[in-house]
Amino acid sequence: MRAGVIPSTAYHDMPYTRGEVVDRADVGVLVQSAVDGDAAAWKALVEGLSPLVWSVVRAHRLSDADGHEVYQTVWFRFAQHLGRIREPEKAGSWLASTARNECLKTLRGLSRLTVTDDPQLLDRVSEDRTPEQSLLDSEEAAAQSERIRRLWQEFEELGERCRQLLRVLMSSPPPSYQEVSAALGVAVGSIGPLRQRCLRRLRARLDARGTT
Amino acid sequence: MNDHITHDDPGSADDALLEEELRQAAAILDAVPAGLLQLAVEAYALHDLDARIAELTFDSLVDAIPVRGAVDVPRMLTFQAGGLTVDVEVTKDGLMGQVLPPQPAGIEVLNGPRQTAALTADELGRFTGQAPTSGPFALRLSTGGETVVTEWLRA
Repeated sequence: MRAGVIPSTAYHDMPYTRGEVVDRADVGVLVQSAVDGDAAAWKALVEGLSPLVWSVVRAHRLSDADGHEVYQTVWFRFAQHLGRIREPEKAGSWLASTARNECLKTLRGLSRLTVTDDPQLLDRVSEDRTPEQSLLDSEEAAAQSERIRRLWQEFEELGERCRQLLRVLMSSPPPSYQEVSAALGVAVGSIGPLRQRCLRRLRARLDARGTT
Repeated sequence: MNDHITHDDPGSADDALLEEELRQAAAILDAVPAGLLQLAVEAYALHDLDARIAELTFDSLVDAIPVRGAVDVPRMLTFQAGGLTVDVEVTKDGLMGQVLPPQPAGIEVLNGPRQTAALTADELGRFTGQAPTSGPFALRLSTGGETVVTEWLRA
């Protein structure tokens, strides 16, 4: 494997190319608008960055109840600090690192007061079906659904380090490596090689199952 | 920034495709619960430019050395905003705390964008109340014409 340094232009034209994500470029502007009282800007921030926060929570394998509370804590604190955040354009990294710290605190304090599941919230959640989930219900989508399930199963069985990294990388839109670094406490420079290695392992598992 | 991926490795396009498949799988099998998303949208109401934030400067969960065999140790928290300190102890039975320097204060226990409970700190700055049963909480103190809100955290 060569340590490639020449960016390929073709790759950069692909929609999932990192760093070309418009949403992220707008983050600083959205933060400023939200500070100035624009609720729609806040909503856009929540919608654009929630998958990242959720990915960090899921990467740390908290219980549902703990995970839901960490997610809320992160957003409440972000709302509270809005306007005091030094680098608004890096709000994604701020959220990712706050989520990581809260996850670690939770894992450290598991013997403390036990959190009761909030049945109201959990029930409400289980009734919600995303359009994608509804699509999966249809028969035509059965094959695709099966493939996705197998992919997910193999992903879940990866080693802890790979599972964590991939769970954060797969948030949508794709996170920047700065955000991944903030989410996992891993140096930016090591993310590329790690990612490559973890995807290779995942592919090997899928190949072994004959599912590609 | 375009600094992270370099791609003259022929496997990189495959890697990107597999990652994209994972992204689709996550969107279907492990999406952000809609109820949580809604709470985060509503959290905009918690944005308060006029209040000072009292930062968490001590958390027994992080800063204290655990006592061997001790169970049900209260969670001790200290928040600071300028010269004002708020000490809080959280147990199963409730919240107990003190505002320092000692002074009376109106205290709201915030438990998300929707719920609050009101408490009062006496002349010595002492207050007690019910601990939030679940969810993150913050205290909003009104004292001496000033509003101070503690950083949000989990009980």
